[in-house]
Amino acid sequence: MPEHPVLEADVAIVGSGGAGLMCALHVAAADPRLRIAIVSKGAVGRSGCTRMVQGGFNAVLGEGDSVEAHFRDTLEGGKYLNDQELAWTLVNDAPRVIDELETRFGCLFDRTETGELDLKPFGGQSFDRTVHRADQTGLEIMGRLRDQVLRIGARELEDWRALDLVFDRHGELAGLTLLDTRTGTPAVLVARAVVVATGGSATMYRIAAPAREKTGDGVALCYRAGLELRDMEMLQFHPTGLVAGTSALTGAVLEEGLRGAGAHLRNALGERFMERVDPVRLERSTRDVVARAAYVEIVEGRGTPAGGVYLDLSHLGADEIERRFGQMAARTRLVGADLALGPVEVSPTAHFHMGGVVIDVDCFTSVDGLLVAGEDAGGAHGANRLGGNGVAESTVFGARAGEAAAELVRGRGIYMPDPALVDASVGRALAPLRRESGPLPFELTDRLKAGMWTHCGLVRTRAGLLEARALLQELAAESARVAVPGPMQANPGWQAALDLESQLVVARLVVESALAREESRGAHFRADFPERNDAEWLRAVVARSGADGEPSLSTRLVELTRLAPDGRALAGGPA
Amino acid sequence: MRPPGLRTLELTVARSDPEARRVFAVEVYEPAMVLDLLLGVQRLDSSIGFRYSCRVAMCGTCAIRVDGRPALACQTPIPADADRLRLEPLAGLPVVRDLIVDTTPFWKAWAYTQPWFVPPADGRTTTLAAGDPSRAEVEAGLDCIACGACWAACDLAGADPGFLGPAALNRAMTLVADTRDGARRERLELVSREGGVTRCHYIHGCSNACPKGIDPAASIRRLRRRSIGA
Repeated sequence: MPEHPVLEADVAIVGSGGAGLMCALHVAAADPRLRIAIVSKGAVGRSGCTRMVQGGFNAVLGEGDSVEAHFRDTLEGGKYLNDQELAWTLVNDAPRVIDELETRFGCLFDRTETGELDLKPFGGQSFDRTVHRADQTGLEIMGRLRDQVLRIGARELEDWRALDLVFDRHGELAGLTLLDTRTGTPAVLVARAVVVATGGSATMYRIAAPAREKTGDGVALCYRAGLELRDMEMLQFHPTGLVAGTSALTGAVLEEGLRGAGAHLRNALGERFMERVDPVRLERSTRDVVARAAYVEIVEGRGTPAGGVYLDLSHLGADEIERRFGQMAARTRLVGADLALGPVEVSPTAHFHMGGVVIDVDCFTSVDGLLVAGEDAGGAHGANRLGGNGVAESTVFGARAGEAAAELVRGRGIYMPDPALVDASVGRALAPLRRESGPLPFELTDRLKAGMWTHCGLVRTRAGLLEARALLQELAAESARVAVPGPMQANPGWQAALDLESQLVVARLVVESALAREESRGAHFRADFPERNDAEWLRAVVARSGADGEPSLSTRLVELTRLAPDGRALAGGPA
Repeated sequence: MRPPGLRTLELTVARSDPEARRVFAVEVYEPAMVLDLLLGVQRLDSSIGFRYSCRVAMCGTCAIRVDGRPALACQTPIPADADRLRLEPLAGLPVVRDLIVDTTPFWKAWAYTQPWFVPPADGRTTTLAAGDPSRAEVEAGLDCIACGACWAACDLAGADPGFLGPAALNRAMTLVADTRDGARRERLELVSREGGVTRCHYIHGCSNACPKGIDPAASIRRLRRRSIGA
């Protein structure tokens, strides 16, 4: 076998968003002697999505609020598909993490004149509990986490892509195969513990919100290693993405706080369509409800010519909008509109993957030595995530993963990976560069995005999903022939080919899980099964790689450990 | 007939390989940013080296020079009267490939100022209410995305390895002004040394280049006032 450089760490963290960096800081806090490696295919602390969080962070800090209320809201929003222990952990840890971010790491959150945290209203919540810094909350959190990571002196493998989990000959997790994308050199990272925290995969849709990097790499490498993935059909669409034609700006989110602050949504006929769909909560309904309502307006011909609906907050006044939502207003001016002055066109945009790897409350998985945190994990949000629970999840579970990993590595040794596994993984990564001729990845990626949007988006049917499956099988065959010319060094075309491979794996799991769930719940809407069916479907769809490499699906009853869907508190649950 | 909103631009892109193609005719529909042009170039030559991530001015990774001026590719509309543009890597940093630069010198300077918040040793926690003068001073410099545009626009930062540069000093200012921080004095001493605030000549290249509207020159002036008064 060709010799690859071998790096060694106690804890290898894949991903450098909120979950990855919180994990690193908590490993270092638990034991400063532990060697930490942060693997990031983008810029450390700057790529990924935590940094893009605008709205804020849900935590119970206000007088009169309670973790029980936050828990109920999270389950109501998640349509009771949530892993209740994960959700309970999320709401309980969130206030402590806010305190840590503020008093240990120096984040500056908005406060009132009298000094209390300024808690703002978000969709689907019974209490105003969203901590924020204007409309750039994620930038503040990631900026300060990045600064703290400079303090601990972790080994930062920036612009290094994680390829696969690799195991020793007896099946013990040994570490990861990597690709240094600046030089094009493969390597092996041997570690006592691996934490996967790469973020989600919503870029597989034509209109999508996330950063470029979010191509489901973490979920894909866990799938290839045989782990169980739950709720993969649950892909959230944010109701208000920017409409900007063919520009990459299309799909960029206009934040939830706009609806919280009283923005109206209207179709091209001027009708405030949420009056029909959710007359009580109107635009402040949950994301699944508002996004689908807007989508229906658009596909039924009541949208704008460019394929959107109107979001209008101008009744708040230009000065107030500039003060509270200055970045959002600036964003709309780039496309020739102005949020501060009048309505802007928006479309639902693929945003967040609720589904992911099955974990426990300490982020442990079924593989010894492997932890998963943040959007790569499934269960905390159930069938729909509340706005403001995303950055809460990544930081809460990133911190927990760090503590758990630090504890784990005390009793776990170093294993040397099976060279055959390393060779197979590296060979797969180098293949697109080595092929003499074949298609470029870009056109295949376009077809993936268009197909997923049309057939596996906000409204799904069995017939459409079968078309999506056929398309994905076709694309998988074509992607196996992709050839990218050019050098090994810093070649984004090559990286796009590898991104596509991850996207195709995750897309397939979304489609198969969506076919399996013959009901509608949260983000998953089947026009052929439009009702929620608690009698049969209070269960998670769980996917894993079958013996032939094809997805193998089963279902598992949701454990109602704390709260029943009728709102009844169970033993151990909220009072 | 030409579809409405379609434009063709002649793009000249700096390449590391002298043999590589440099000039591209790219078609884009309005609205389009410079980043959209680069994505168009990628379809013509997939080996073009450039980087971006968030495409909404949060990550700061797409900073390049557009007709010589540092800018975020994702937030720079194509000028209405332009039919050609020149794209080059940021100045003052080593080039990795094509438009991709190695930001190590920038981050080395940033890390030198010990940019991490330090909780006060006595365990007290303070908060900054809205309207607190310290909060206003911190917020003025807070939303830096570390894109390096100011570094590239500064006559000194790239040329003089001893100078910390505008972004690092701006970050130091946000901590020195933050009454919650427990290491304000130590940090002020660090940036008052040779290579710190005294080296700036106030040419204001940084403040003109910042895509987030931050005024690093003003931050440096504030630090200098404090260091003299310290």
